[in-house]
Amino acid sequence: MKNKIKVYRAMQDLTQEDLARAIGVTRQTILAIEKGKYVPSLDLAFRISRYFKVNIEEVFTYEEGVRTVDID
Amino acid sequence: MIGVVALVLLAIFGYSVENFTPVLFMIAFVIGVILLYLAYRRVDDFIEDERSTRITEKAAMRTLQVFWVCFCAFSIMAVMNLLYMPRFSREFWLNRENDIVPPELMSLKIIGYIQLALLCLMIFLYVGFRIYYARKYGDWETDEE
Repeated sequence: MKNKIKVYRAMQDLTQEDLARAIGVTRQTILAIEKGKYVPSLDLAFRISRYFKVNIEEVFTYEEGVRTVDID
Repeated sequence: MIGVVALVLLAIFGYSVENFTPVLFMIAFVIGVILLYLAYRRVDDFIEDERSTRITEKAAMRTLQVFWVCFCAFSIMAVMNLLYMPRFSREFWLNRENDIVPPELMSLKIIGYIQLALLCLMIFLYVGFRIYYARKYGDWETDEE
């Protein structure tokens, strides 16, 4: 799962801490998602995309055949 | 808060051992855990979210997977040994102030110690798995922001 959170954050001049507080998670979670270490739940993915006022698929892209950290 | 509760519990544990009042320590332990839980609920900062919950879940699940095998194997062995033991003497419990442990109860004592050791192993396993999964899910990642 790839994401453009960092890009959207930069566009809105937000720090990880700002975004984390706004959507109710820890900064480490935002960092882990950005680095691809953690795949967020659908609920959190929607909250992030709604915060940026874009569709979920504009922020998150599913890559076929790529095994994510969260599966095992 | 955790430190204070741990210190108080340690003191109560010492008192319980000295005065042979295990129930006191059991009650104190449960109260201590409840106090910590209540204190934890009062924290309103975001210290837990779905990622930390997932780390906890995975660590707990793996701990259980390893622990039940060890505990079950030991318990089966202990029960099989106990089946060969003579009936527990009532005299022992009536005269326990003499601090004489009948030889047939010595293995029970050892079983208790081993079970405590297994519980310690469970805690170490949990901490180990928690560190592993926290690392896997990016807990110690640093970023330039």
